[in-house]
Amino acid sequence: MIYTNWVVALAGIIFAIGAIGVMFRRNPLIMFMASEMMWNAAALAFIAFARQYHDMNGQVMAFLIIATAASEVGIGLAIIVSVYHKRHRLDVDEISRLKG
Amino acid sequence: MSASTALLPEYIVVVAVLVTMIAAMIRRPGGTVASWVALIGILGALWATIDLWTMHIHPAVFFNQSLTVDNYSLFVNVLVLIAASSTLLLGWTGEREHEEFPILVLIAALGMMSLGMVGNLIALFLGIEVLSLPLYVLSASHRTVLGGEAGLKYLLLGAFSSGILLFGLALVYGATGTMNFVDFASSVNVHSPLLAAGLMLTLVGLLFKLGIVPFHMWVPDVYEGSPMPVTNFMAFGTKVGAAVILLRLLAYGFYMSPQDWGPALGYLALLTMIVGNLLALPQNDLKRLFGYSGIGHAGFLLIGVAVHSVVGAKAMLFYLLPYGLAVIGAFAILTMMGTDKETVTISDLAGMARQKPWAAALFIVFMFSFAGIPLTGGFVGKLYLLQAALFAHQPGLAIGLVLGTFLGLGAYLRPLQAMFRTRQGESNMAGWNVNWSHVVVLVVAVVGTVGLGVYPTPVVHWVSQSANFFWLH
Repeated sequence: MIYTNWVVALAGIIFAIGAIGVMFRRNPLIMFMASEMMWNAAALAFIAFARQYHDMNGQVMAFLIIATAASEVGIGLAIIVSVYHKRHRLDVDEISRLKG
Repeated sequence: MSASTALLPEYIVVVAVLVTMIAAMIRRPGGTVASWVALIGILGALWATIDLWTMHIHPAVFFNQSLTVDNYSLFVNVLVLIAASSTLLLGWTGEREHEEFPILVLIAALGMMSLGMVGNLIALFLGIEVLSLPLYVLSASHRTVLGGEAGLKYLLLGAFSSGILLFGLALVYGATGTMNFVDFASSVNVHSPLLAAGLMLTLVGLLFKLGIVPFHMWVPDVYEGSPMPVTNFMAFGTKVGAAVILLRLLAYGFYMSPQDWGPALGYLALLTMIVGNLLALPQNDLKRLFGYSGIGHAGFLLIGVAVHSVVGAKAMLFYLLPYGLAVIGAFAILTMMGTDKETVTISDLAGMARQKPWAAALFIVFMFSFAGIPLTGGFVGKLYLLQAALFAHQPGLAIGLVLGTFLGLGAYLRPLQAMFRTRQGESNMAGWNVNWSHVVVLVVAVVGTVGLGVYPTPVVHWVSQSANFFWLH
């Protein structure tokens, strides 16, 4: 028997790892990957709750998250590659012509 | 009413996206066929929206409560379509914008329109993403170092904030067992910690998109690096989308527990008004200045959500219109003067009052509307927000609004002062590029700004009709 709480706790751990990855890694590719991990943690939590409530909505949401993440990866990799073409190094601390 | 009638504006935009794709494929280099098709699509959707409005429809829900068509969503449609058409017109000349520009603008507009009618979590997530994905591409669409950097920053922070939003939505779903906003309040465990955590993460995700302090770091950088028409779209359209979904989510789903989120949003609004306008003071780049002023205005908008009253909802909806009109007017002038450059600095404005008196006068009108000087729309909007704060017995918010307005006034007076300086050396006004499309945007913006300031009655009437949704929980 797998309890919902365990799955949600696992999703929370994956989410935290992703969030820490975005905040502390400096390579845009790794940061992007870490934010995709946050998305997938949310999808996992949706599926766990859908199973608990016997409700299809959560599973539909998980499919939509997967599809949207795929399109986001397509756009994101294109942007990262085009930035790499200009400077041949990927480090967000060096990508700082725009001072915030 | 059937879905095909009530959702006609959205369907027209969808068809326009497809036709614009074909037009973009067959166009000659430098041609404007695709832009014309997209503009006709937007005007058609505007016509359908106004037609629906005059039919005095009852609120209608579709697709298992995921979309609600009412006066609120129709008002949002009008705002978004103004933003989208101004973006198309400012990027009209086709030399600097690529052929995908009108298509992506239409898709992003579709996402913003859907955010006005969202009724459940699935549609909320899809609306946010349909809005964001085209804007990532658009902000990186100038193949320069700054453009790529802006796109990268927007993408990374957008994906991060969407992740936070999604996890929040998952927790809300777990706590309530339903996706529909209206069922949240009636769920058994209104005060569970799971629901509180979910609501907090959801709000953080949405406030990221709105650009509220302390989630505002990306705004000035992305505004500065993006092409001028795209910055205009982000400053107006994205703010509309994020603000209206925030209002609808909280007013439908969490009206039973305003004590849980109202004070938090109030403090954030206070912080945002002060910090945004304060940071706008020392800026020299006008796009950055508008970025920080956009943060300040997001704080003003958040007052309307935080007070949780129908007066607040009305004030927020009204304020979106004068703010947006001033944005499109100011960006029209920046587009006209800076077409050969990435950006415009305050020193570029020197001598404008003498050499281009008309443009200078219009720029003064838009800056006054931003600052909230009487006889412009911005003043009336700020007055209503002040009224909403006082009605809700929140004098702190009212004081913050006045303080933020004064700080903003200082920020907007600096470019005006620069216009009246005489310029040393040769004139920089030779590179002006005035197209008919810029003139159309300018005329709409100035008529709207002054009209809202002098005679706001009809718009106030429409806004109070749109805010009626507040009672229909």
